[in-house]
Amino acid sequence: MNIAAFLKALEATGLATKIRDSLFIFPLLEATHVIGLALVFGTIAIIDLRLIGLASSQRSFKRMYSDILKWTWTAFVLTGLTGALMFITNATVYYHNFYFRTKMLLLVLAGINMGVFELTLGRKVDSWDKAPSAPPLGRVVGVLSIALWIAVIFMGRLIGFTTTRAAVVAPPSNNVNFDDFLNTPGPPPAPPKK
Amino acid sequence: MNRFAEWLSTTAPSVYIQNHNDWIIPLIQSIHIVGIAVVLGSVLMINLRILGWAGMDQTLRQTSNRFAPWVTSALYLLLATGILMVIGEPVRELVTFSFWLKMFLVALSTVIAVNFQRKLRADRQPIKWLALATFLIWACIIILGRLIAYDHVWGSWSPATKA
Repeated sequence: MNIAAFLKALEATGLATKIRDSLFIFPLLEATHVIGLALVFGTIAIIDLRLIGLASSQRSFKRMYSDILKWTWTAFVLTGLTGALMFITNATVYYHNFYFRTKMLLLVLAGINMGVFELTLGRKVDSWDKAPSAPPLGRVVGVLSIALWIAVIFMGRLIGFTTTRAAVVAPPSNNVNFDDFLNTPGPPPAPPKK
Repeated sequence: MNRFAEWLSTTAPSVYIQNHNDWIIPLIQSIHIVGIAVVLGSVLMINLRILGWAGMDQTLRQTSNRFAPWVTSALYLLLATGILMVIGEPVRELVTFSFWLKMFLVALSTVIAVNFQRKLRADRQPIKWLALATFLIWACIIILGRLIAYDHVWGSWSPATKA
């Protein structure tokens, strides 16, 4: 199966159709994506600032790392999941979007950056655990990490401005909206078919 | 409010942003999101410490001293970028239900935060369920921020659908 057919197949799935047809789901996916990425960047920045030596310098790095990183990863899974769900609603457009591609590239670079850290200084953390900042390589990793994640956020916002979905103003009439939660008697809508 | 928003959209700074909106608005929004990340990450750390789920090598006061100033600074950044967004797109922002509910929740979370700092100075124990509630309020603030762009989901509650 070539990539174009695969993207079309993603868009044709019942799940993607369900999200496209709903007035609520896409905005709530976006909002959850923002909550997730805010937690990812917010917690990673705490680690990065510790590496650089700008904050939390008196704390054990190892202790902070194990304390915080599990929350980062949880949030990352949430962000990835909501991102994937948004992607399938308009897969072809996102796939060919310049900012989407740049964002994916930056995410890979952020991953490599973290991998380099894990394989070098992460292996001998005991030797600098109590130092107010990491050795030079660690400080570089910290600065790169903050820069890459901010760039990821910028690219993400630009995707919204350059794909069709953001430009569509959904018609307010003859769509299900909040009024129906309050006023409509009768059975709730059927759960989505998986 | 409608008339104020329409007047604001005719002022020089607003017109400037409107004429350059292909890059100014995404730029301001992205900075706003970076600010949100700083607030949410810091609030998470303080709240996890209150609940005893993280940072137990530090006292609550140490944790607060480390993160509270970042919350305050980021809130000023959010206020500044938020005001710029209102100036840039007054009607889109102000004539919505989401925006005003969001502002109410921001005020509420500020009151809770000030109260928490006062308790901390008086060496009194913070209320644990309030830590959880604060985090949920911040999540709602973020959701409402995004819903400003989709205010029609509120149906007749949204002034945008009447306008």
